[in-house]
Amino acid sequence: MVYNYHMLLNGVRRLHVEVRLYSGLEKFVQHAQYGKPIQLELSAGTTAEKLIEQLGIPKEHVFSILVNGNHRKGEDLLEDGDRIALFPPVGGG
Amino acid sequence: MKIVRLNMTTKQASFEEVPEKYLALGGRALTSQIVADEVPAECHPLGPNNKLVIAPGLLSGTSAPSSGRLSVGGKSPLTGGIKEANAGGVCSQKLANIGIKAIVVEGKADAGTYIMHLTADKAELIAADELAGKGTYELTKILKERFNPKVGVICIGPAGEMQMLSAGVTNNDLEGNSSRYAGRGGLGAVMGSKGLKAIVIEADKTFDAPVQDKERFRAAAKKFADILLKHPVCGEGLPTFGTNVLMNVINEAGTLPTRNFRFGRFDKAADVSGEKLAEVAVARGGKQTHSCHPGCVMRCSNVYPLPDGIECSPVEYETAWAFGPNLEINDLDVVARLNYICNDVGLDTIEVGCTLGVLMEAGVIPFGDGQAAIKLLEEVYQGTPLGRVLGAGTAVAGKVYGVTRVPTVKDQGIPAYDPRSCRGNGVTYATTPQGADHTAGYAVTANILKVGGFVEPTKDDGQVELSRNLQVATAAVDSTGLCLFVAFALLDNPEGLPTVVEMLNAQYGTELTVNDVTALGQQVLTVEREFNIKAGFGKAHDRLPEFFYEEELAPHNTKFDLREELDEVFKF
Ligand code: SF4
Repeated sequence: MVYNYHMLLNGVRRLHVEVRLYSGLEKFVQHAQYGKPIQLELSAGTTAEKLIEQLGIPKEHVFSILVNGNHRKGEDLLEDGDRIALFPPVGGG
Repeated sequence: MKIVRLNMTTKQASFEEVPEKYLALGGRALTSQIVADEVPAECHPLGPNNKLVIAPGLLSGTSAPSSGRLSVGGKSPLTGGIKEANAGGVCSQKLANIGIKAIVVEGKADAGTYIMHLTADKAELIAADELAGKGTYELTKILKERFNPKVGVICIGPAGEMQMLSAGVTNNDLEGNSSRYAGRGGLGAVMGSKGLKAIVIEADKTFDAPVQDKERFRAAAKKFADILLKHPVCGEGLPTFGTNVLMNVINEAGTLPTRNFRFGRFDKAADVSGEKLAEVAVARGGKQTHSCHPGCVMRCSNVYPLPDGIECSPVEYETAWAFGPNLEINDLDVVARLNYICNDVGLDTIEVGCTLGVLMEAGVIPFGDGQAAIKLLEEVYQGTPLGRVLGAGTAVAGKVYGVTRVPTVKDQGIPAYDPRSCRGNGVTYATTPQGADHTAGYAVTANILKVGGFVEPTKDDGQVELSRNLQVATAAVDSTGLCLFVAFALLDNPEGLPTVVEMLNAQYGTELTVNDVTALGQQVLTVEREFNIKAGFGKAHDRLPEFFYEEELAPHNTKFDLREELDEVFKF
């Protein structure tokens, strides 16, 4: 299938991403378990923030968003095939 | 305050006045200064001229929150350089409450096993051959029965008696578990070399070390507790899942050393993570959170019951990593068993984990084989040749078996963050006078945890400066007796450090400023580096092993690249 600009704008293109929730964030999502990947299909143009909202996780609980092992901001756009991990504040050593 | 000097050659213990120049020092600042002043840098670490120095921090024994950390110092038989290893447990507060600024153990008994009994006005050396070869758990129990149940016990296990290079010095927690290790660098072997098996400390009080201005101190301590509790990591993250909450975030960040530092992710990391630990510990009647000494508000510790009823407390992140992903083991019961044996036999868990990784690399036992690892570790009790190789640490095991992927700096095993994709910690591993040590300048904060700013972990920019600042701050914090985990709050809250200074001033009647604290940290590092230079260390020792520069680490496919830049770290 060939995408054009219009199709993108209309959200025809879909993204397949893998989300992992940790350290208590999984409690906000039914049937979720920490570390178990959740496969999601999102419309193109979805940001990390939007994803968190769609999952029903109160955004003040999310401290770190890691996408493919790199820190990302809430407004960053997600891409097809992304591995996303969400964390509350964590630390140790 | 007094210094206790215990001469193991003459078997004399005596109290000394604290010299003027040591009055303002405590913890690491004091152990490192005494070692630098009294130990010849060229001496054999296991000979009569090395000394074991034990000191509570400046704030230990007061009501300052999380201030009961103990420093143990000496020349390290593992690295050949100066060493300070830091432990929780109850003994730091006890020492401070009976007015002891430091214990200096010197000389060497020509034969026999001894213990020292210490009270506010008496230090006595007692022959105790019947205790030779005892594991630390049993030893601590026996000594508590013999003296009284409230004593604190600083001791070593059989590994220390056999002078193994990875032997640690431990002390007990509130429940009497001898699991609070000043683990790194082989200081247990130094204690063992002298013939000293344990120090028994009697003190009835916990929070009554002398404070000059009590009102002012109380207000500052309360404010400091608030600062800790308000911080998301100190007040929320640590108390919920403990340090092992890191397992998943370090794995997701792609910097979790897996299979002896071959990969940056372990697909079964969640099986040995803090989340899993909390689940299992609670289901078996253990504890998800626990405090390693009275008065800690962050309570990062835990109690993990094994299926046979033995309790391992705590299972920390570093240990879970060392025996988990590093060995491709995904069974927390195996991790906790290895941890328990190390605590009992008297070995540093990080060093043993790195050594097992190298032995697996060599094919001595297979990766992933937990039962084989347990069997091998049990050989340490008997002191078999293979048990001794394991107890001698990562670098020795690599040499014995001809392995080149040996994760060490200054012959000390590298902990749980791969330097190729957490480069700030790479700078710390390479340059700290302690040998590879993650706590010496914990750049994981800004690299991964987004505490104290953010520095991109897979890039070189800013890493030298980050590590420098953290190493200075850490050397100062390690001198106060505060748990290093307060640093999360100190880095983010501008009122944090001034409040620490306020506590120090109220306690000692001093007029220190925040700048004096920075100066103290720099001074500690300078003293330690000068010792190492005299002991034969140079720039070549401030580098990572070659394979980090040559092999890419998945998933970020990065190598470590910093060399000459590392020589800038100590240009304050
Ligand atoms: S935060 Fe953890 S290690 Fe630090 S003092 Fe508290 S219980 Fe001990």
